[in-house]
Amino acid sequence: MTPIRSHTLPKHEPQTELALGGEWRVVVLNDPVNLMSYVVLVFKKVFGFDEQRARKHMLEVHEQGRSIVWSGLREKAEAYVFTLQQWHLNAVLEPDEAH
Amino acid sequence: MKRIEVKLALPVVAPLLDVIKELADGLKKNLAVASQLEDLDADFRAAWTDELLAAQNDDVATLLGLFNDEFFSEGVVAFDENNAEAIVRACAAVRLRLRECFLVPLGDETLESGDIDIATLHEPLRKAFMCYLFLATVQELIIQHLDSSILDS
Repeated sequence: MTPIRSHTLPKHEPQTELALGGEWRVVVLNDPVNLMSYVVLVFKKVFGFDEQRARKHMLEVHEQGRSIVWSGLREKAEAYVFTLQQWHLNAVLEPDEAH
Repeated sequence: MKRIEVKLALPVVAPLLDVIKELADGLKKNLAVASQLEDLDADFRAAWTDELLAAQNDDVATLLGLFNDEFFSEGVVAFDENNAEAIVRACAAVRLRLRECFLVPLGDETLESGDIDIATLHEPLRKAFMCYLFLATVQELIIQHLDSSILDS
């Protein structure tokens, strides 16, 4: 279950709200342990990717060390990172500088 | 309900369970992958970590539950749609912990390539690597035969 930010966080200062707004990226980083087939399964399960798209992102992680698997609003990005971490993938949030 | 039963070689697998149980103990209080959540509020970060730990512990308990009386009498473990997802995740958690606790001397590149001659390894590295391979085999079996159960659940 995803932690519910609004229940646990104190009110943000306006400046913090601004920082948390905009677009955010969910990035999966490579690790030497998780199986390729496992990573493909996780991408299909978490994002609903088809086999081809899941494999493309898995290979990006494997060969380039990272793959941007989703971008959008902060709250949903956090939920995806949480779910990926439940599956023990090394997932991080990054601001999407392009937006 | 799709179900697969696997007969394991008890003399090979039983000794690996001590390693798995030892690592499972470590996973009670430590995430398999440390979260990088520096920009989150401290309370939110704590709630996030607690929920991940609780889910991780549930998964690991399901994995350990495979090795019940039936396993020790018949050598059989069974996977189905009720346990596949938890077990495949728990295997990932224990494998990550194995790397952290035992397999660092092998180096990440070697670990990733899998190009390791077990006969050249000495204890406790050898048993840890056997465990690492065993759990990967369990994951592959589940992904090969039960991935639709996981995706549809």
